[in-house]
Amino acid sequence: MSNPASEPHLYSGASHGQHDHAPGDEPAESAGHWVRNANLGLGFSIVLTVAAFLLAGSHLVYPPAIPVALIVLAIAQMGVHLVFFLHITTGPDNTNNVLALAFGIMVVFLIVIGSIWIMDNLNRNMMPMEQPMEMQP
Amino acid sequence: MSDVGLPASVEALRRVREDPHRLGHRAHGPTEPIEGAGHGATGPAHKRIVVGYGFWIYLLSDIVLFSCFFAAFAVQRGATAGGPTLAQIVDIRRVGFETAALLLSSYTCMLSFAATNARNRLWTEIFLLVTGLLGLVFVLLELQEFIELAGQGITPQRSGMLTSFFGLVGLHGLHVTAGGLWLATMMAQVLVKGFRPEIVHRLICFNLFWHALDIVWIGIFTIVYLMGINA
Amino acid sequence: MFGKLSLSAIPLSQPIPLITSFIVILIALYVLVLITVKGWWPYLWREWITSVDHKRIGVMYCLLGVVMLIRGFADAIMMRTQQAVAINAPGYLPPDHYNQIFTAHGTIMILFGAMPLVLGFMNFLVPLQLGVRDVAFPTFNSVGFWLTASGALLVNVSLFIGEFARTGWLPYPPLSETTYTPGVGVDYYLWAVQISGAGTLITGINIVTTVLKMRCRGMSYLRMPVFCWTALASCMLIVAAFPILTATLAMLTLDRYVGWHYFTNTAGGNPMMFVNLVWAWGHPEVYILVLPVFGIFSEIFSTFSGKPLFGYRSMVAATLFICIVSMLVWLHHFFTMGAGAAVNTFFGISSSIIAVGTGVKIYNWIFTMYGGRVRFEAPMLWSMGFIFTFVIGGLTGVLLAIPPADFLTHNSMFLVAHFHNVIIGGVVFGLFAGVEFWFPKAFGFRLHEGWGKAAFWFAFIGFWVTFTPLYVLGLLGMTRRLQHINVPEWRPWLYMSVVGVGILVLGVISQVTQLVVSIRNRERLRDVTGDPWDGRSLEWATPSPPPFFNFAVMPNVEGEEAYWGIKLRAIESQQLSPEPTYEPIEMPVNSPVGFYTAFFASVFGFAMIWYIWWLAAVALVAAFAGFVIFAWRDVHEIEVPAEQVAQVDRDRRAAREALLARISRQGALS
Repeated sequence: MSNPASEPHLYSGASHGQHDHAPGDEPAESAGHWVRNANLGLGFSIVLTVAAFLLAGSHLVYPPAIPVALIVLAIAQMGVHLVFFLHITTGPDNTNNVLALAFGIMVVFLIVIGSIWIMDNLNRNMMPMEQPMEMQP
Repeated sequence: MSDVGLPASVEALRRVREDPHRLGHRAHGPTEPIEGAGHGATGPAHKRIVVGYGFWIYLLSDIVLFSCFFAAFAVQRGATAGGPTLAQIVDIRRVGFETAALLLSSYTCMLSFAATNARNRLWTEIFLLVTGLLGLVFVLLELQEFIELAGQGITPQRSGMLTSFFGLVGLHGLHVTAGGLWLATMMAQVLVKGFRPEIVHRLICFNLFWHALDIVWIGIFTIVYLMGINA
Repeated sequence: MFGKLSLSAIPLSQPIPLITSFIVILIALYVLVLITVKGWWPYLWREWITSVDHKRIGVMYCLLGVVMLIRGFADAIMMRTQQAVAINAPGYLPPDHYNQIFTAHGTIMILFGAMPLVLGFMNFLVPLQLGVRDVAFPTFNSVGFWLTASGALLVNVSLFIGEFARTGWLPYPPLSETTYTPGVGVDYYLWAVQISGAGTLITGINIVTTVLKMRCRGMSYLRMPVFCWTALASCMLIVAAFPILTATLAMLTLDRYVGWHYFTNTAGGNPMMFVNLVWAWGHPEVYILVLPVFGIFSEIFSTFSGKPLFGYRSMVAATLFICIVSMLVWLHHFFTMGAGAAVNTFFGISSSIIAVGTGVKIYNWIFTMYGGRVRFEAPMLWSMGFIFTFVIGGLTGVLLAIPPADFLTHNSMFLVAHFHNVIIGGVVFGLFAGVEFWFPKAFGFRLHEGWGKAAFWFAFIGFWVTFTPLYVLGLLGMTRRLQHINVPEWRPWLYMSVVGVGILVLGVISQVTQLVVSIRNRERLRDVTGDPWDGRSLEWATPSPPPFFNFAVMPNVEGEEAYWGIKLRAIESQQLSPEPTYEPIEMPVNSPVGFYTAFFASVFGFAMIWYIWWLAAVALVAAFAGFVIFAWRDVHEIEVPAEQVAQVDRDRRAAREALLARISRQGALS
């Protein structure tokens, strides 16, 4: 069903870089490469997940550092997913994908951090209420 | 005419042949034209690239949607209104099983796409089925969690914290459910229509979607559950 | 069975909505009957309703926008006249009705008037300017348009069944929560905006993908027309910002429907979070509106000055700068909400900095004119009016960006004057300029120049007469959204504003007259060459209107201002480029899925508003079924035979030969 006549883009060009790739896309000849990526991705993810679960609520690390450590592990695992499952690379065929991702990450960062900063300041300046139903600072 | 090199006419012919669109030689950047990468030499990209990229942009919008629910959760995680706190409702064992199910389903989804690239219908369907079943396990575990909490009177109507908890986790579960419906449709389409180009394009999109859901879950289990143990 | 819906939902006791509904229903019925009697349904269904052609969809978007602009303008007339007569008097609009009017005015003008027009322009122009045949996802495009129309339908239905929101166009909680607004008004708003927001997001995704992945050969990033850059930036903002609106309105919906506590003022809800999130959308939204309009002006200034745009690269840089910084300023909409000095300072500085980007653009437009042979036809008049009006509006914006100054002017008429100044002076003037400029391309005949100039002057003068008094009133202490006035000293300003509204009405009448006169005289005004303005970008290379496949052969671009280069080469060599080899073209087939989806979206929205749960479920299932059936289709492209392509293109070439001969006789370019 897939042959050079019907899908020339999959078979043309000896080099990878001849075609732009959407994230998570690979030409046909790299099926083995694909499985290797899956295995590596799964392996790293399992390590990072188990580490996070063991770390939370334990005393293996200085306790106030645990949230930071968890976030680092989470970001690392998201990176593993992006690289191994979604095949985001720094190659010239991936520039659009990386730029779009960077834009998205910037927006997420602005919304989450911006909202936390703003709301924290607003709450701190809010008039005290009688009942104990207001937010903790 | 210069001392070095060829006559101007030959130079002009070479320039036209190598750079028909007069894009100029860039010191940086690729020397060979890359389809769809925007340097302009190759015209519109192939449909496979266009569809995949469009879906990537949609996914970014979905991530922004989730980030708003994350922001609301971050703001409201202490707003317990005298009701139960996050630490009191978190069940780490169940979350562990959910995480394992979703992570494995991402893996089997990759394998199904490898099978698609090899044009192997049987293994594509098998791995898609396993992916769907693992996703179903995830959703059922989550439903079980919600029902148990509701049975104890712990509902989103109780407090702001519970609202944003159920909202964020529920939104993700809703996405997984929708993905499951899509998966079922894709399995039917592959069965009936085989690996036509548009079916493969949709499978690319489905892969992106499923992996993105796992990425969002990483955020949820870290920020909501693991960090909530000590809240 | 019918949820909350009953006959009492029809406003029999309120004369104004009743009469208005009556008239609107009558007009709608008249139109439907006319179409049926004339037998136009097959044509409309085949050529417009199920069309996936970006040009048709663009025109439909613009038509929707214009109709809703008129409705929004009617609301404005009512508001201005009410304030003029209600000085120590009750006026003619009771408070809860007045509140619905200003809510509807804002919602309609921004979301159903300006947005569809801007989306329509982007849809129509981007593929033509990029030298390609359609956007990346043509059928999806149709879905997006019809969802927007569905939202607009719901807003209009609220006029005669139920009521609209009374909260202002951004429904702040706790007022918008069920405790304080138990009726259906806010629900109409929520579902209408959610549904049309999905449509907008679809266009955003489509245009970003088209600009980044689908350009004709040779069109590198820095050879794209500036309009395509601004469309890209605007649609990137759509993709980044509209999910925030979706999320926020979804949270409010959950609060209202199932008693959750996102924004309630009890049990741990946080009303201020709504304000924060909704303005995180709201500010990028206004840049979504204005950036494509900046692109329109870039095209018009260069064309009507006969010069390439000055500072192309700085224009691109300024556009991307505005795109990014627009996501960093949103708190300036609620400086007074108590975030404190540090937060206010940060956002005050960022709001001032964003003016730099626009300043760069203004200077570039002015320098484009300098040294050129400027032609003051209607599009250029709108553009000059824009420069004057928008700069002043922008300056008042920078004033508002300074937190201490904003503490005095927040939610006063000064603010109202400012944002109307930039939206009308910027977005509306730009849209009218664009209509004057591209109407011949879309419909094949020019617009009457005299009436166009009259419309501009009425609009320009009318705008300033209407809104200058509002600036003064703001500084005198008048707040916004007042149903009655207790301060007689404000009377002369309010009267002057109504006079201005009258002038604006003349402008609207002139614009409509221009359209009617042009249609009547369309044979005399026919655009035979496809290039009536001596254009510079690729859309002017096509006939007017372009064939549905846009280009018989996709162009090869060798420089900036692709069409200008082609034209100059043809004039210098006194002949067109050689006739190309024509090949068959594959185009997407029409599809009813857009209309079908939107139909069930409307039903779903209406059912949810009135708590008719079974109907909502039916609509959802039907929509999903439609999606599956559509996904199952086998035929999605149709092949246009090479002979048909050749025939269309030969006609085009004949027209161009005639133009070339005429230019050669004149011995000059224009």
